[in-house]
Amino acid sequence: MTDSALDDIRVLDLAGDIGVYATKLLANLGADVIRIEPPDGDPMRDIGPFWHDDPEGGAEPVADRSLYFFNLNANKRGITLDFTKPDGRALFEKLVATADVVVETYTPGYLDSLGLGYEALTKIRPGIILTSITGFGQDGPHAGYAWADIVGVAMSGMMTLAGEKEDPPNMPYGYQGYINAGIAGAGGTMMALVHRDGTNEGQHVDVSMQEALSINQETAMQTYDMTKQIRGRTGARGIIPIDIPGIGIYDCTDGQIFAYLGTPGGAPWTVMLDWMKREGMAEDLDEGDNLDMVKSLNLAFLTGLVREPEKLPERIKVLGHMHGIFSRFCASMSKWQIYEEGQRQRLMLGIVSTPEDLAKNPQLAHRNWYRDLEHDHLGAKVRYVGPPYRLSATPATLRTRPPLPGEHNAAVYGELGVTPEGLKSLTASEAI
Amino acid sequence: MKLPLDGLKVADFSWFGAGPICAENLGRFGATVVRVESEAHVDGLRGVMPFAPGKTGYNVSGYFNAYNAGKLDLTLNLSTEMGKEMGRKLIAWCDVFITNQTNRMVERWNFGYDELVKINPTIIAAYQPMQGFDGPHKDFFGFGSVLNAITGYNELSGFPNRPPMGIGTNYPDYVINPGHTLIAILAALRYRNKTGKGQCIELAQIESAVAPLAPAVMDYAANGRVQTRAGNRIAHAAPHGAYRCADNTWNDQPEDRWIAIAIFDDAQWRTLVDAMGAPAWASDAKFATLAARKQHEDELDANINAWTKEQRAEDVMALLQSRGVPAGVVQNARDVLEDAQMKARQYYQYLDHPEAGHNAYDGAPFRLSKTPGTLRSAAPVLGQDNEYVCKELLGMSDDEIAEALVEQALY
Repeated sequence: MTDSALDDIRVLDLAGDIGVYATKLLANLGADVIRIEPPDGDPMRDIGPFWHDDPEGGAEPVADRSLYFFNLNANKRGITLDFTKPDGRALFEKLVATADVVVETYTPGYLDSLGLGYEALTKIRPGIILTSITGFGQDGPHAGYAWADIVGVAMSGMMTLAGEKEDPPNMPYGYQGYINAGIAGAGGTMMALVHRDGTNEGQHVDVSMQEALSINQETAMQTYDMTKQIRGRTGARGIIPIDIPGIGIYDCTDGQIFAYLGTPGGAPWTVMLDWMKREGMAEDLDEGDNLDMVKSLNLAFLTGLVREPEKLPERIKVLGHMHGIFSRFCASMSKWQIYEEGQRQRLMLGIVSTPEDLAKNPQLAHRNWYRDLEHDHLGAKVRYVGPPYRLSATPATLRTRPPLPGEHNAAVYGELGVTPEGLKSLTASEAI
Repeated sequence: MKLPLDGLKVADFSWFGAGPICAENLGRFGATVVRVESEAHVDGLRGVMPFAPGKTGYNVSGYFNAYNAGKLDLTLNLSTEMGKEMGRKLIAWCDVFITNQTNRMVERWNFGYDELVKINPTIIAAYQPMQGFDGPHKDFFGFGSVLNAITGYNELSGFPNRPPMGIGTNYPDYVINPGHTLIAILAALRYRNKTGKGQCIELAQIESAVAPLAPAVMDYAANGRVQTRAGNRIAHAAPHGAYRCADNTWNDQPEDRWIAIAIFDDAQWRTLVDAMGAPAWASDAKFATLAARKQHEDELDANINAWTKEQRAEDVMALLQSRGVPAGVVQNARDVLEDAQMKARQYYQYLDHPEAGHNAYDGAPFRLSKTPGTLRSAAPVLGQDNEYVCKELLGMSDDEIAEALVEQALY
């Protein structure tokens, strides 16, 4: 058995979508995360994609087929509890007395209104860390605003940068607002734990999705702050609105690659030309003006284009011609071939990976990054992604499949001294 | 006030985004961070826009400055023997080492983990190689824009009728990779505080960036489905997207404005319909349930757009939020800097930089009620702390410092 960074830490997980990536990360690092679900069902289990595309499970329904839920809840124990009911509240308070961290995502003020806010929790468990992950944070004029992933992404300033000018702004795939909020929630919780270890002092960790996302504006914030210019959407061509050979997206026989040639640290365009010649695809690239351009084309040259406006029309013509030749070269090969052969020559070329490409990526396969976990209730193994980091002494691990609803009620409530009979009456009163 | 990382010593051998942002957050919560640079190997961001108006040189890039506030700056030329020796002194001094340099560069410096533990047995060493330490692609390289493509963000984000252009930024550089690294370093620190043992952290940027895309990969593995771009739509909500509002005028130019709206259940839908003034089209059975709205989503979106397009985005947000419907303006940088919520919470910290001036810096990604993080100074000017670091932290004499200057080790 390996050591763990968090095996002495118990986390009560009340998180909805916006915070559950945080508790996933804490669970993977070894914490005893007890996920608390409402007795009438956790809405997260109804979000697709589903195992074998079947949310119901056919003739013998199993309320546990959501791959979205699986991903976020492996390694956790699961109980059902309604702390708005008196019996449920008493149990919750007993649980809090055993916990180091509570992670919650209710509308700010809700837990306080129940008498279960930060101050109340510290009375039950001195030194406790309460991590609250919400759309806009615990205070301020928008604290009560309703959030959704796309709303956070919009309000953070990053969405206005994505897409073509004439399209609506694009949201990034995959609930990135919730992911970013979760990363901040886990980071804040870890920071508070380090502080508690040294002082026995707990605290309230407050994460705003809008704030957690806003550094993703890249330079847009500083650009406005310093120069009062607004960065907007520049689409597929990027900030230089002309065809530049070897920069941007190119079609291959079976998909696309993203090229970024001529940037510092990579091989120069002349290496690209040599490869194209070997493949018999260089056309007239090694002649006259074209060859001159091949020799001078790099990022510094491109950023200097505007300084010699009189030469611009001729240069745009040559660049456009080269772009056509480079496009034909890419169209003659597969995306994997361009990516792997190009990178081996230090050419900054990247495959535009589909989920299938990610699943088949030889690097990830070599490093055994994907993990298969037995799901006894499905009679099958489910493939999971690996952890975001590898720690040599305290690795993040995938240990147990996510809990079925209320699967650990007997175990967890048993630890609190609840008898099997007591469990029955708590179930009857819908407290659990 | 005692901060969580008071007394922690960090040697920041990183550059660009993913490393420096992580180290900046360690400093924000109390650590002493020495950023190592060299005029022989300048951080590329020092040469990238935006620049303070009317200023030139390495010290006025808003891009670089944003990720390096609160740090001490040491210029160390690691291609000289003396520079390497001083680098080793810094390794001996620190608790945490961080770099996002390529495996090749780490080898050239001889700063692999096996070497570092010889100098400092309890060091926490965090590496962020793009593809990891080993494997057939271990020397593949690229900036964030290439990583966006390789890790699937480009293929999966944006509209289906457009090429996989990505989301307009080097996205994983700013939160995904530095944020994951911060968590790993804090986990390692907690373990070291308990056991006295250090460790090696390997954050392969490809793994860190694909991890958040798990549902797409799991969908392929379980169901054979190859997901692709679906614009602003998701399976369990409708309407869900960004809708055009009335243009703004800014600097005498029209500026397009948009509102993001997300409706997950039928109760929210009825509230939205009521807020729109219960237009006739909305009572049609084809919009009555989520399943029906998904089936007629193009028509639904066109109707919502017709309602939003004459209104100010801020007004639509205020109206819908007053009824509890998730809606938010697609804000630009000006909006965010002037956002009432961000201002009330004082998210941005304004710091004075000797060359770049009085500028906004991003705040902490999380707020700790008793130990709030703060940036103690603006970003450093190249090499500004050479003397202090050499004398006070590395214990070098005046003669040794003079020699380091002559040898261009301090450079």
